Amino acid sequence: MKSAVTTVISSADASGRFPTLSDIESVKGSFDRAASRLEAAEKLAIHIDRFTSESLDYVYGTQSYDQANKDKCARDINHYLRLINYCLVTGGTGPLDEWGIAGMREVIRAHQLPTAAYIEALTFIRDKVNIPGDMGQQAATEFKGLLDYLINALA
Amino acid sequence: MRLACLIFERFRAKLVNGAFPYQYEALSLHDFSGFLDIQMLDAFSRAVVTADSKGAPIGSAELASLRKYVADANIRIDATLAITQNVSCIAADAVSGMVCENTGLTQPGGHCYPTRRMAACLRDGEIILRYVSYALLAGDPSVLDDRCINGLKETYLALGVPLANAIRAIEIMKIATVAIMTETNTGRKMFEGINSGSGADCKDIASEAASYFDRVITALS
Repeated sequence: MKSAVTTVISSADASGRFPTLSDIESVKGSFDRAASRLEAAEKLAIHIDRFTSESLDYVYGTQSYDQANKDKCARDINHYLRLINYCLVTGGTGPLDEWGIAGMREVIRAHQLPTAAYIEALTFIRDKVNIPGDMGQQAATEFKGLLDYLINALA
Repeated sequence: MRLACLIFERFRAKLVNGAFPYQYEALSLHDFSGFLDIQMLDAFSRAVVTADSKGAPIGSAELASLRKYVADANIRIDATLAITQNVSCIAADAVSGMVCENTGLTQPGGHCYPTRRMAACLRDGEIILRYVSYALLAGDPSVLDDRCINGLKETYLALGVPLANAIRAIEIMKIATVAIMTETNTGRKMFEGINSGSGADCKDIASEAASYFDRVITALS
């Protein structure tokens, strides 16, 4: 699992050296930024169901729709938000890359999934994050960065 | 022991060349079964893997322990520096301690005779210290398990390295590391932390470091 710390250790191990001061500085840097991303992860875990349902209500609107279809879409958005929660914890894009994005194109193509709907829902969540109601400024920046990362991967 | 080092060197060459580590040796030399399933984790990604198996996001309860990990980061860094600044000293002391207790080792026919075998021994000590320092920095033993312990006993058995002596050397390294980290060694303070923290602060983390050495000892027992 790629994270700030394991990346540093992997490269140190690749050259067979002990962690150097610069390795340690870079680990320290990731710790220094950890507070805001842990806050984002915590708030996201609290609001995950609300974010999901609000974005789905927005995407599906008031017209008639297939409830089963909407439920499946909600499940997927919830899944992506959970992976973003993991990314916020690790401080890297490892969980999204390994469990969300790898193989995503193939799945989307095989099942003919409407990526536009996912993108719309994720964009809605990104634009509607309430600062400081949902989370603080720094935390929201971390969260939005990962949403953008996922939106780009889906696009 | 010499061959063990040779294998380590080949592992390293593979790593440098970007190939997946150990794979070829794993298949040809030992039963490294399950190796491919192990991945390197740190305290954060450990929480992620655990949460994913439940399909739940990481909430406040799990975050509390991660916040402690972040809060103690400076102590953790100092503790890692205590190892990295004293590697050759710790390894050399451990090997000489081991030899002093078993003087036959350096006699002709002993396992540390001639010097190139002793040198291999020292280098293995440093390799173990290196993986302990990684585990300590990550706050998780998976890198140690995956890249050092996995197959170590089988390698030593195959090469005729006496496990009891190897274990003794690791024990001495553990004692020395803890003493340097907590500044309970006799003589001068042996490491410069970046936070000028005192050794007393490192007490908890020193027991974590000791647990990583114990992991290697258990694996060899």
